[in-house]
Amino acid sequence: MCGILAVFGCIDSSQVKRSRIIELSRRLRHRGPDWSGLHCHDDCYLAHQRLAIVDPTSGDQPLYNEDKTVVVTVNGEIYNHKELREKLKNHQFRTGSDCEVIAHLYEEYGEDFVHMLDGMFSFVLLDTRDKSFIAARDAIGITPLYMGWGLDGSIWFASEMKALSDDCERFVSFLPGHIYSSKQGALRRWYNPPWYAEQIPSTPYDPLLLREAFEKAFGQKAGRNGGGGNGWAGKAVLKRLMTDVPFGVLLSGGLDSSLVAAVASRFLAESKVACQWGSQLHTFCIGLKGSPDLKAAREVADYLGTRHHEFHFTVQEGLDALEEVIYHIETYDVTTIRASTPMFLMSRKIKSLGVKMVISGEGSDEIFGGYLYFHKAPNKEEFHQETCRKIKSLHLYDCLRANKSTSAWGVEARVPFLDKEFIDTAMSIDPEWKMVRHDLGRIEKWILRNAFDDDKKPYLPKHILYRQKEQFSDGVGYSWIDGLKDHANKHVTDSMLMNASFVYPENTPTTKEAYYYRTIFEKFFPKNAARATVPGGPSIACSTAKAVEWDAAWSKNLDPSGRAALGVHAAAYDEPVDAKPANLLNGSPQQLQESVVKTATVV
Amino acid sequence: MCGILAVLGCSDDSQAKRVRVLELSRRQSFLYLFVLKHRGPDWSGLYQHGDFFLAHQRLAIIDPASGDQPLYSEDKKIVVTVNGEIYNHEELRKRLVNHKFLTGSDCDVIAHLYEEYGENFVDMLDGMFSFVLLDTRDNSFIVARDAIGITSLYIGWSLDGSIWISSELKGLNDDCEHFECFPPGHLYSSKLGGLKRWYNPPWFSEAIPSTPYDPLVLRSAFENAVIKRLMTDVPFGVLLSGGLDSSLVASIAARHLAGTKAAKQWGPQLHSFCVGLENSPDLKSAKEVAEYLGTVHHEFHFTVQDGIDAIEDVIYHIETYDVTTIRASTPMFLMARKIKSLGVKMVISGEGSDEIFGGYLYFHKAPNKEEFHRETCHKIKALHQYDCLRANKSTSAWGVEARVPFLDKDFINVAMAIDPEWKMIKQDEGRIEKWILRKAFDDEEHPYLPKHILYRQKEQFSDGVGYSWIDGLKAHAALHVTNKMMQNAHNIYPHNTPSTKEAYYYRMIFERFFPQNSARQTVPGGASVACSTAKAVEWDAAWANNLDPSGRAALGVHLSAYNEQHQAASNGNVVPMPSNIIDNIPRMMEVGSQELEIRG
Repeated sequence: MCGILAVFGCIDSSQVKRSRIIELSRRLRHRGPDWSGLHCHDDCYLAHQRLAIVDPTSGDQPLYNEDKTVVVTVNGEIYNHKELREKLKNHQFRTGSDCEVIAHLYEEYGEDFVHMLDGMFSFVLLDTRDKSFIAARDAIGITPLYMGWGLDGSIWFASEMKALSDDCERFVSFLPGHIYSSKQGALRRWYNPPWYAEQIPSTPYDPLLLREAFEKAFGQKAGRNGGGGNGWAGKAVLKRLMTDVPFGVLLSGGLDSSLVAAVASRFLAESKVACQWGSQLHTFCIGLKGSPDLKAAREVADYLGTRHHEFHFTVQEGLDALEEVIYHIETYDVTTIRASTPMFLMSRKIKSLGVKMVISGEGSDEIFGGYLYFHKAPNKEEFHQETCRKIKSLHLYDCLRANKSTSAWGVEARVPFLDKEFIDTAMSIDPEWKMVRHDLGRIEKWILRNAFDDDKKPYLPKHILYRQKEQFSDGVGYSWIDGLKDHANKHVTDSMLMNASFVYPENTPTTKEAYYYRTIFEKFFPKNAARATVPGGPSIACSTAKAVEWDAAWSKNLDPSGRAALGVHAAAYDEPVDAKPANLLNGSPQQLQESVVKTATVV
Repeated sequence: MCGILAVLGCSDDSQAKRVRVLELSRRQSFLYLFVLKHRGPDWSGLYQHGDFFLAHQRLAIIDPASGDQPLYSEDKKIVVTVNGEIYNHEELRKRLVNHKFLTGSDCDVIAHLYEEYGENFVDMLDGMFSFVLLDTRDNSFIVARDAIGITSLYIGWSLDGSIWISSELKGLNDDCEHFECFPPGHLYSSKLGGLKRWYNPPWFSEAIPSTPYDPLVLRSAFENAVIKRLMTDVPFGVLLSGGLDSSLVASIAARHLAGTKAAKQWGPQLHSFCVGLENSPDLKSAKEVAEYLGTVHHEFHFTVQDGIDAIEDVIYHIETYDVTTIRASTPMFLMARKIKSLGVKMVISGEGSDEIFGGYLYFHKAPNKEEFHRETCHKIKALHQYDCLRANKSTSAWGVEARVPFLDKDFINVAMAIDPEWKMIKQDEGRIEKWILRKAFDDEEHPYLPKHILYRQKEQFSDGVGYSWIDGLKAHAALHVTNKMMQNAHNIYPHNTPSTKEAYYYRMIFERFFPQNSARQTVPGGASVACSTAKAVEWDAAWANNLDPSGRAALGVHLSAYNEQHQAASNGNVVPMPSNIIDNIPRMMEVGSQELEIRG
């Protein structure tokens, strides 16, 4: 990941302003420790902090078109840049950077080229010929982007809130899949896939098609037929394995990350990256000593033969990191903070090994309805609409976590489940197939499991492929969340909590833990606008507010424990986890503060 | 390099209760550990015992897998947080046969040495280090810094009676009422309640030595110093400006790399790094040396704008307002970032040679060998405020560690025992500055370097990166500082008053980051000519009359002008741009030059 900051139309364009922009851009340096760049054109500034993944030697930013009239600062990866370069035959490229195509596409097609980009990105482009500019963010919001307005009439864009929160009067999170054009003076959505309308699709489930779509998110193997077409078959085309630097896979041992590791290690044997960095895949897992994730991940790593790295942290180390975590991920959402902290600690260790890029399993639970509350979906229509809503809000939760926890240490996270084509494929399947049907032996995410159930060349052993696993914060060790709560209790008194609704009238924290995080957040980001970038509202075990209606019991108890049971988990984890049925959730739950209920029914 | 921070509370009984209440909030305030994170990006450790806190930000060079800090003695009674490298740790471990070590870290020996020898073990350590050691049995502690001050360290006192120790000023300046540089070669012992010098080499008294010069002894002493510093478990390289000092370091490292553990892990070819504006003298000289040695050479180009954009950052990191240190630190700071982005965590660098051998051009005017020798001693003692500070903090800003073989304790002893008569510049005998060092590596059979490189006089660092760098800095400062501001400079900054707009500009930035009176006083000032100490200004009457002459203003001592040098059209008193006159970093000086001519 890189960090971008752009300011247009500030009244003051003196040296002082330049220093200020540099100072602000420096707040994003963790995202791009490798180099800084600043382009200044009258009252327009485009700043960049680079993490060099593709073309480390020449790809410093900002990037330009041939005659330098178009300037662009980009955070992200354009996986199909080679293909796009071929389309731009008469353009001369200055660097080998994947992001350079953006300037040239703009020259060729004007503002309507964003849908041609396949990847994760946020960018700001300045056309110096008429001083117009555009800003855009990828379809799902894998990369973060904020937009703000200064009192002097300036417009600001930044990868993280901390770069613009002090200088903008108001700011918002830039909507994913949108483009802002200065000519129109407004945002419009460029991302318009079939599933967006939330109509119920009817394509029958084809396991092989789904499997292939997922594999294509990594790239296409050499000499493989089917798919791709137009001259690309026969040649290895890398997507998320495209890198010039060492990389690895985040492996928690659950279904999603295990599939990512399995597919990546199959590819690695044959691809260009293998020549540079060895054909053995590196995998990484973090947990408290003896945690379920560590055990599950080790089992998968052994099966796949990866070079596995285990990191242990203590509850105290996690607590010591909390302020930093909140500063980096810029949210006060309880479950996001719980899950981000181990990921944040792990990223530091990963970086210290010299690894700059990791592939991770976010998004699967949203696309396939993997959260346990989906068991209670009343019908396929509701099920489908809920998955759509979940995908649309990913940028506020798991995308934000995955991106910012890793970027804090200059590590880039890539998420194959959020490949545009894969989403289209998965979201066009008749949702009947995604429904949890105990009578048919279908647990959550069954269609994904079944797609990789290859008896001849197994991707994963069956018991792993069909196991239900911990959600992230529990998987790292049960005492983590208990430790967080104890710690918060020491800092937040009962009377503080009683007055919470007066102190924090919006998104009022309902637990001491939430209150504690909120105080830290407010310390770093005291403005109203900052508070409003974080979502709230009723939720059960990660559901949207709408899905709370699925069960009468839920809506009566609007804020039940994430651990509080939905009564839907099919199998308890191997080693019975005594009093704590922490295995009830299968993804990171959002907006729940667990309080009382610690009982669970296991079906 | 790593970052250390320690708060050593007073155990005054009346305070005890309060302190206990504060304990929790203290832990929180410790998150500005934060501020030292750049030094040790790999992991953090925090140890608490009562109201003693030891914190550590780790850059893992040796034993990355298990050496996280703080480190402990076997029974965990003794806790140490260390920044640095102990090169003789294997040897020391052998002496501590009945001790069991918990990690493979080189710094692990410190706790065990203390157990074995009490407080008087610091002299046994060979390396660069600063550490805080807490003995939980009696709540006593010691703090120490290496002989020359290669690693940075500050000590401060808070109003609540606690003592603070930090690798950088920014770790303690907000909380201490008073703070200062921790003197190099010293030890603070809580039992003594004060500092004592543990470093006591023969040269320290500044008596004039008489050992005759033996080239081979000097050569092998330096070779050993470089070899020691090849100890690493991570990728490393050499900073190569193409001058004598860095070229010698590169040559020896390249020669001895084969067969080391580092070579097995990271390949037998040495990486070398050079930074400069495009087409700068350094880039050219370094490339020439790199080609001769066959290193994997990396060139980094920066623009004047890149450098100016980095100035605030540089000052924040290196914590000084000394003009020449800032000028020289900026390219090094930019280069360190690029080096780190290549995955390299450690570099070997050539600092210290000019001090030991009297390599600065003003040494040409030393009236006699006694003065010459004493000036070298003064220069070495002041290194921690100048080049050590620059080398350590510019690289640590990006989590890169700099090692400096010229400041090896044994090597300094050898070099400083030589009769200074041999170090004197004797143009009639063909001896230019640092001649004894050049001569020592003048090996006809197995040449370390081609003769013309071995005997060339080179640019000082800030000029070597490109002539327009310093001009650019001055022009930039002139935009920010008006004449009126200069007129009032002595009222605003009565201590170390800036005498140029450039100095004023840096000072403003420094004061913004570090507004305390104590901070200002950690930076040296005073009269100087082309890097000399105040004492050496007396060597030439012309200098003393013009107490703040330009670094570029000539001493009339450089033998050959650099090839592509803008020809100095000296008319009258004005000497335009004779930037090849100074052979290392000039300090705290500026102003037009007078009555000096360039020869050659």
